Amino acid sequence: MSRIEGAKKVIEITKLNKWFGPFHVLKDVSLTVRDREIYVVCGPSGSGKSTLIRCINQLEHHQEGDIVVDGVEVEKKGKNQALIRRNIGMVFQSFNLFPHLTVLENCTLTPTLGLQTPRKEAEETAMRHLERVGIADQARKYPLQLSGGQQQRVAIARSLCTKPKIMLFDEPTSALDPEMIKEVLDVMVELAEDGMTMICVTHEMGFARQVADKVVFMDGGEIVESDTPEAFFANPRYDRTQAFLSHIL
Amino acid sequence: MTIVFQPKPSRPAPSNVVGPAAWLRQNLFKDIPNTLMTILGLYIAVTVVGWVLNWAVFNAVWDADNRRECLDMVGRSGACWPGVAKWLPNMIYGLYPKDQVWRINLGFLALIVWMIPLWMGGVKSKVAIGLSAVLLYPFLASYFFLGGSKGVVWSALIALGLSGFVWVWATAICERVTGLSVGEWIGRRFAGATEDVKQKRVRQIAALLLFLVCYGVVSQWSLPGVRTQLWGGLFLTLVISGIGITFSLPAGILLALGRRSNMPVISLLSTLFIELFRSVPLITILFMFNTMLPLFLPEGTSVNQLVRAIVAVCLFAAAYMAEVIRGGLQAIPKGQYEAAASLGLGYWQTTTQVIMPQALKIMIPTIVGNFIGLFKDTTLVSIIGLFDLMNMARAVGEDSDWLGLFIEPFFVVSLIYFVFCFAMSSYSIGLERKLSAGRDR
Repeated sequence: MSRIEGAKKVIEITKLNKWFGPFHVLKDVSLTVRDREIYVVCGPSGSGKSTLIRCINQLEHHQEGDIVVDGVEVEKKGKNQALIRRNIGMVFQSFNLFPHLTVLENCTLTPTLGLQTPRKEAEETAMRHLERVGIADQARKYPLQLSGGQQQRVAIARSLCTKPKIMLFDEPTSALDPEMIKEVLDVMVELAEDGMTMICVTHEMGFARQVADKVVFMDGGEIVESDTPEAFFANPRYDRTQAFLSHIL
Repeated sequence: MTIVFQPKPSRPAPSNVVGPAAWLRQNLFKDIPNTLMTILGLYIAVTVVGWVLNWAVFNAVWDADNRRECLDMVGRSGACWPGVAKWLPNMIYGLYPKDQVWRINLGFLALIVWMIPLWMGGVKSKVAIGLSAVLLYPFLASYFFLGGSKGVVWSALIALGLSGFVWVWATAICERVTGLSVGEWIGRRFAGATEDVKQKRVRQIAALLLFLVCYGVVSQWSLPGVRTQLWGGLFLTLVISGIGITFSLPAGILLALGRRSNMPVISLLSTLFIELFRSVPLITILFMFNTMLPLFLPEGTSVNQLVRAIVAVCLFAAAYMAEVIRGGLQAIPKGQYEAAASLGLGYWQTTTQVIMPQALKIMIPTIVGNFIGLFKDTTLVSIIGLFDLMNMARAVGEDSDWLGLFIEPFFVVSLIYFVFCFAMSSYSIGLERKLSAGRDR
């Protein structure tokens, strides 16, 4: 992984702890993501993987530990969340497109409203990203007129329109039919090859093999192990990892 | 060797599934109970309609000088319309001076003309036009209705209303012809297409000029004053419910947002207000505002009785509307908030652009239902002595010439209420259909 070594650290998480009420979801999680690095996070449900990436853009607030995003320390009660979120794009399992806006309007809403880009420029950027995910011809339709795979690709384009430095993916293919999973993964692979820094919570191990720099396995709110995909799949060190892999591979 | 998969072509549905005959069989004559119900329904409909027509049209008296004459002619088997006809102007305009009634007509006509651009094709500034009708029209209308002397501030507000009216039509015509709003058009015409700063200044000057001209017109314009005590009938009903409806929606939205706020003080105050006004009957609130409010005001100040009634209706309606809106907000999935947050949108951006449009759309039937309820609830103001449509109808039967004539005026009042409520309801159904076209699964 020579292209990564020594690159700038974009996300640095140290000793992160989070509780939902009395329930301890994240236990001393530490993770460092460098510029252009691709992380795949996997693990059984309830292991805290979604919560981990949701803490990074402050959809969840953590109680202990430090998160530094692109050199800015994330404050615990979400005081600087607007600043943090500006650099992070997020794609959700359930797409979460805005159903009352057209595909194009979904993509231009934040640039025109939050970042005050002129409408024309915002639309051009949006069309460029929509073309990139192969959906430019659907730009005038409403999200619910599209298939799941198309909707998820729009969601990716919408995130890209805010020019994020980091992309977070929260199980982006879990709600999709097999044929649609591939069209979304193809877009993600392309994004990875273009040098986007990405953290993907996913069980698509083919994707992990193909593009990941590191695969992280979580269980019970802890990072059990973290390794290059070659090493991770060839000889996982923990029995828990072995058991998990034997189920999903 | 691979075989190429050929999907079967679709065939048209068999004739017992589609077509009017199939529809009849499916819906009206499916089996014996269904057929019996159809026949029974038809029988009831024919009898009731026949009875009403006989009473209201065929047996009715159309020409008489008092109720005695009517009774002598047909007894109670036919309606006695002359009384209603004689009172109809009062039922519509109340005791408004006869020679000034044109002001009411013109005032409502102005509102209709104001809103016509909303239904015209090629007009883009529809939101601004709609907002201007809500925010500026009332100033213009109140002078039409009230008249009387006006100070500088009052004149300025009326002039603002008049400029709004001029602007709406200028923009509507300009956008149809040139595709630009009138401000943009003037800016480009007098400052060049590229000079942004200069364009803005030209637009400001144009707006100021318009306002000054309107102020000039308004200051020369004077209408004799009509005390609100003379207002009544349908006119009064429309004024009270119109103000109630236009106030309740924005106020309800703010209260609903307040109740869901993370800030405990705001949330507590909103909840308190909503629960207080929701748990007291409207009649009680009207009474309280009418009799108790003057006690709290400093000696010598008096608030017009109509204003007291309107304030009471507005606050009551806002509390109900708040709960309707909150229901709509509750129905928006958490993912919408999260997506907006992850895109970096702030609270007000998320609320106005993402959440509210969806919440209001879901709640259109309930919101309009509330409007209809409010429209009908305004009949309660008769209890504090305002002569609204309902109270006027009752006055007919208390007139010495028409003593006891109650059914006929109430029948007419019911028809008037039905026309208004049905119009609102149809509009809401049309709106729902328009908004959901192509956006639902």
